[in-house]
Amino acid sequence: MIVTWRITLRIAVIILLAAVLQVSFFSYLSIFGSVPDLVGVVVVSLGLLGGGVIGAVCGFVLGLVMDSLLLQTLGVSSIVLLAMGYLAGRYREGFEISSSLAPPLLAAGLTVLGASIFAAIQLMLGVETPVSLLVVREVLVKGLLAFLLMVPLFPLMRRVLRPALVDDASARRAISPLRSRLRRRRRGTGGRRGRSGRVTGAVPSRRVRGGLA
Amino acid sequence: MYRKQVRRRRAVLAGLIVVCLVLLSISFSEAQSGPLHSIQRGVSAVLSPVEEGASRALKPARDLVDWFGETFDARGENEALREEAQGLRAEVADAQSAVGENEQLRKMLDLDQADAALGSYKRVTGRVIGRSPTIWYSTVMIDVGTSSGVKVNDAVITGDGLVGRISEATRGSAQVALITDHRSAVSASVLPKGPDGIVEPEVGDPDDLLLDFIDNNEEVKEGQILVTAGWSDGRISSAYPYGIEIGRVTEAAVGEQETFQQIHLQPFADIRGADYLQVLTGGPARPGVPG
Repeated sequence: MIVTWRITLRIAVIILLAAVLQVSFFSYLSIFGSVPDLVGVVVVSLGLLGGGVIGAVCGFVLGLVMDSLLLQTLGVSSIVLLAMGYLAGRYREGFEISSSLAPPLLAAGLTVLGASIFAAIQLMLGVETPVSLLVVREVLVKGLLAFLLMVPLFPLMRRVLRPALVDDASARRAISPLRSRLRRRRRGTGGRRGRSGRVTGAVPSRRVRGGLA
Repeated sequence: MYRKQVRRRRAVLAGLIVVCLVLLSISFSEAQSGPLHSIQRGVSAVLSPVEEGASRALKPARDLVDWFGETFDARGENEALREEAQGLRAEVADAQSAVGENEQLRKMLDLDQADAALGSYKRVTGRVIGRSPTIWYSTVMIDVGTSSGVKVNDAVITGDGLVGRISEATRGSAQVALITDHRSAVSASVLPKGPDGIVEPEVGDPDDLLLDFIDNNEEVKEGQILVTAGWSDGRISSAYPYGIEIGRVTEAAVGEQETFQQIHLQPFADIRGADYLQVLTGGPARPGVPG
């Protein structure tokens, strides 16, 4: 992902919007005793689009915002979302996303993992009351809801962050080499990097094709 | 180049994990008045107007989703309510005779009726502006805070019964720890003259509460009502005033090998569905309760 200040601003808006929507809307929806985990899905999307480092940083920040909004123990949500974002990013760096089902499946799997890590941390911090087996159902339903949420959300996020995506930029250049050459000549650089932007995250070995966009 | 990237990635990841663990340790061990909690409350105070605005704006969408769910549930609920109404008719007749008896006894004992009926508390109504998305923190945020007289440990109710207590308060908002939160424990009395115990939640099942510390010899029946015990021994007291309805006993079982009974109850209040909550502020002093 090419991180410029504009892209940073877009990501910041996405993070704030996701936190507010989670707390004010999605947390009210109880589906089979579970609540859709929008913040988890957003972090997985950012990881898939931006790579491991961006996924981890976004997860960390979003976790801090969530814990501050809800006055919860600081650091718990951050560590969970950080892990989810990083793992999504590592997947993107190591494998080709050839099927449109891959992002939703990954979101479901990582949401289940995140909810399990969250539960483990809570149990380590100390829960004195009995824990119902329904917790397992809650975690599984959360995974299912994450799958469904990711189907429309990933293309949307990809669209919002398109100017920063290395793969999409290369694709655009391939489509219009003349326009690209003209733009480079106008800038007087000739390089692939923008003036203010810098390339971050590992570029995948194989080009990400298709996706859901 | 690639090695440098890998090293940088690992460094960022390790740094973030360390920061998370430091924050977690400090936040968990620090007192409510500590610097980290103060910063957290500051951030929450800044973001609470955004949260409140979003909550108001998104209410029609939430209502629409709720409408679908409620319509689906209404059919089964109708049958159950008819059966319950039949049972309640008999209970009302018993209760009416008990009310007359109660008034006579109160006069004889010269009890302050207003105090007993929570009349000495000021009720501050707040709108729910945010909810925790996880079952491990059963909390909600409301749009009233210390500027409206709300203090930490004030009891929070709806028209149906007890919901929880204030666990954190900023100037314009407050966090309510619901009775389904794993940190919650409410001392309760079984009516009409049953034993006292502690109501605690079962994590993961918000529709079911447990009444603990009821001896096997005590008799508790299905359908009995629980209210807050509101005890005080002069030095320490319960955070909740006496007489707030909590729920109804749904199952009472005596275990052969266990000292205490296993009593389940269903809360009266719609704990996770309420849009407005009332905070009981002021009232008589409760020794030993910080706030």
